[in-house]
Amino acid sequence: MEDSVTPSPEWGEGPRFFLAAFAGALALASAYGLSLGLRYLESKASHQQPTPEVWFETPTPSSPALIKQGRVLFLASCAHCHGADATGDEGPDLHDVWVSDRYISNIITYGIKHEMPSFKKKLGHDEIIRLTAYVRSLD
Amino acid sequence: MYSENWAKMHGATVHFPIALILCSGALDALGFFFPVPAIRRGLHAAGYWTMMLGAAGTVPAVVSGLVMSRGVMLGHDTLRLHHLFAWPAFALIIGLATWRALASDFTAKKAPPGYLAGAGLAAVLVMAAGYYGGELMLGH
Repeated sequence: MEDSVTPSPEWGEGPRFFLAAFAGALALASAYGLSLGLRYLESKASHQQPTPEVWFETPTPSSPALIKQGRVLFLASCAHCHGADATGDEGPDLHDVWVSDRYISNIITYGIKHEMPSFKKKLGHDEIIRLTAYVRSLD
Repeated sequence: MYSENWAKMHGATVHFPIALILCSGALDALGFFFPVPAIRRGLHAAGYWTMMLGAAGTVPAVVSGLVMSRGVMLGHDTLRLHHLFAWPAFALIIGLATWRALASDFTAKKAPPGYLAGAGLAAVLVMAAGYYGGELMLGH
């Protein structure tokens, strides 16, 4: 049986390498397609505004002062549904949410049809940032 | 409940590809340097099958992970770190397995350094993704 000391030439032939690269890209694209499908079903099930994910996004600014201000806003606008400690009541528990900052602020801004009101008119951009910082601090 | 069951499924499926991909890289690297041809062939054959089974094992791991996180491909904080390593690892493993499957007489030949470097990189990515996956489950 052949046992070449040098790497076999069959390994490095161009078309095979490119097919392999294509297979890797196809696997990733399939995962992305599945992700889109699942998020579509999830948004349909909860009437949620879809929030496209991006690879790089600036995190919401956070500081103890912002979190404190966010907590005040939370108690005034959100606690009656999510509970004073944000562990959930009529609305869900907000601890350890795995979604991005943009996703959180999007939900606060636009709400969820039939489930959560939009705060677009009630809260300004800075207040939504403070609320997002507070929700993020619950992680 | 929906996510909990899928989380269990993810935990049950993800360890097979982690173990197999790491083994595959180690076996091929050992085979690359081993002086005895018969043993070298055996090591490459084992490297081949562990890579194939590991690549096949990534599919249920990825599907259960995606369903568990409700389609989140990146997420935030530790989940994001987990994904930033897991997705390149997934693509690389499928690519390496395809390359390996297409190479003729795969078990008897010495793997090229490019393949070994790819397998090494896949092993590093898998370990990092596994580390942050563990942090997600047990880190709090």
